[in-house]
Amino acid sequence: MSIRLENIHKRFGAFTALGDISLEARPGEFLALLGPSGSGKTTLLRIMAGLEFPDNGRVCFDGEDVTGLTVAERNVGFVFQHYALFRHMTVAENIAFGLNVRPRRQRPSRAMIAARVQELLDLVQLGSLGQRYPAQLSGGQRQRVALARALAVDPKLLLLDEPFGALDARVRKDLRRWLRELHDRVGLTSIFVTHDQEEALELADRVVVMDHGVIEQVATPLHVYNEPASAFVFDFVGESNRIPVQVRGGKLFYLGQPLDVPTIGADGPSELFFRPHDAAIVKDDAGAIPALVVQVRPKGAGVRVEGKLIGIDRPFEIDVALDEAPEPGRIIALKPGHPRIFPVSREIDG
Amino acid sequence: MTANTESPRARRLLIGIGLAFLGIFLLLPLVSVFAEALEKGFAAYFAGIAEPDAIAAIRLTLLVAAISVPVNIVFGVAAAWAITKFDFPGKSLLITLIDLPFSVSPVVSGLIFVLLFGAHGWIGPWLQEHDIQIVFAVPGIVLATIFVTFPFVARELIPLMTEQGRDDEEAALSLGASGWQTFWHVTLPNIRWGLLYGVLLCNARAMGEFGAVSVVSGHIRGLTNTMPLHVEILYNEYNFVAAFAVASLLALLALATLVLKSLLEWRFNYHHGGTGH
Repeated sequence: MSIRLENIHKRFGAFTALGDISLEARPGEFLALLGPSGSGKTTLLRIMAGLEFPDNGRVCFDGEDVTGLTVAERNVGFVFQHYALFRHMTVAENIAFGLNVRPRRQRPSRAMIAARVQELLDLVQLGSLGQRYPAQLSGGQRQRVALARALAVDPKLLLLDEPFGALDARVRKDLRRWLRELHDRVGLTSIFVTHDQEEALELADRVVVMDHGVIEQVATPLHVYNEPASAFVFDFVGESNRIPVQVRGGKLFYLGQPLDVPTIGADGPSELFFRPHDAAIVKDDAGAIPALVVQVRPKGAGVRVEGKLIGIDRPFEIDVALDEAPEPGRIIALKPGHPRIFPVSREIDG
Repeated sequence: MTANTESPRARRLLIGIGLAFLGIFLLLPLVSVFAEALEKGFAAYFAGIAEPDAIAAIRLTLLVAAISVPVNIVFGVAAAWAITKFDFPGKSLLITLIDLPFSVSPVVSGLIFVLLFGAHGWIGPWLQEHDIQIVFAVPGIVLATIFVTFPFVARELIPLMTEQGRDDEEAALSLGASGWQTFWHVTLPNIRWGLLYGVLLCNARAMGEFGAVSVVSGHIRGLTNTMPLHVEILYNEYNFVAAFAVASLLALLALATLVLKSLLEWRFNYHHGGTGH
């Protein structure tokens, strides 16, 4: 099923949670809503579910307007951040809940419900734990029960709020891969909320980056990482170095000196961004950025060089090969690769 | 781990003080109630209870509790639900108002109803015209009891439901459950022990309330006397055996409440501790 949001506005009192959000998820797509806390991503998810209603705008499922429908009428599966399992019911009863509360005419027979529950337990690899209570399960198991319970009602859309937020790092990683496989197998349109860029980039078909209630960029993980649409996106989806520059007549100036960096963009105060692994240490310091090395630590196959930019006293981080590692205390010349230049419009976090 | 660092003497002394206090202020009065009641033997004891006015008082007390407790269950659950699951203007005012009956003297609570419904009260003349008797009759006693006991259930549920949040209810709704199914299958099981606890305290107070009921009752024997009022009348008439016989029933109610309360606390903690959040 496809879902389309048109010009969604939502305010809580004086606070604008969402300002004019339009977005579309294609059938079978796995979409990530990525943003810091307070960016409106959870509110947006809850509006898709019908747990929250927009002040303006429309929500359409397969082209059909469902804005006025409640969560019970929308037939979506919702997995809560803390799972919200019914603690007085067994795992099997939890999963069967959505079928058991149906009006008698639409309710499957007991045997059919039991078979469906077992099928879902097998799907989430909890085959023999049906008679346990939620309190007797680990965090990862509870998460999978919550997922099975949401899938039991054959939803048209699966919505997950911070699905890995309450798990420790190792379980998180395993479950992430498992969820992606499950998504591909079930083929359901799925949308999940996360503040973890790694999670979003690894899991989703497309990533929706949000900040302050607006969408900054919607693109594939590769595109978001390599071609960030704004300074915020660049900073949020990966490690970054940020340097204040001036654009004048198609040239870039750093502390009054021209930088040897290809420039596009309008004249005015701007910021130059580059990733730690895209920088190189060069011999010729003309057109490069002078920096003082403070610390060199191993990272992956090479080293991570940390220090301060000379003249503006700002920290930097770059990754270079082991044989290029400079001595701490030395002054080096940096040349950013794959740089992005954004005009300074507003202060960004971090 | 820290062991008990007090000396054995200090420990014995503290335990001794505690026990002596309990003995003098709780156990002794309780024993004396039963001792006085049984002073002239079981026959006199049962005669005191079986006397028509006593039976009427017991019946009235049960009736008042049977009306006011269910009313306060509905009110308490509704108030706790509204306060914990929704945001609305005036919410903190409602929370404060729920505590009002606890902070007002029961005598004042009774007087409020006399002022409202009495012959010289605001709507007293209108009630008289229509031949409706509220004050100095059973309806007044029920109203006063409801007023005095209404914080118990709500106060027990609000912290519990606040802690549990709205996720479970939203999960049930997202699975297609109706509001009523959600309440019955999800909310109620989550709050059942807290609710029972509140109901128990509410009931004990409803049966034992003296001050407010005394003001609105009018003390008409066999008609508007509840058990506590009946005890007072008998006592003032120097009919000690009968007075203590009826009082012993109230004391038994208190004991039964305590036992049930302990049992519930035990169950409640067990369930609470077992969820592993």
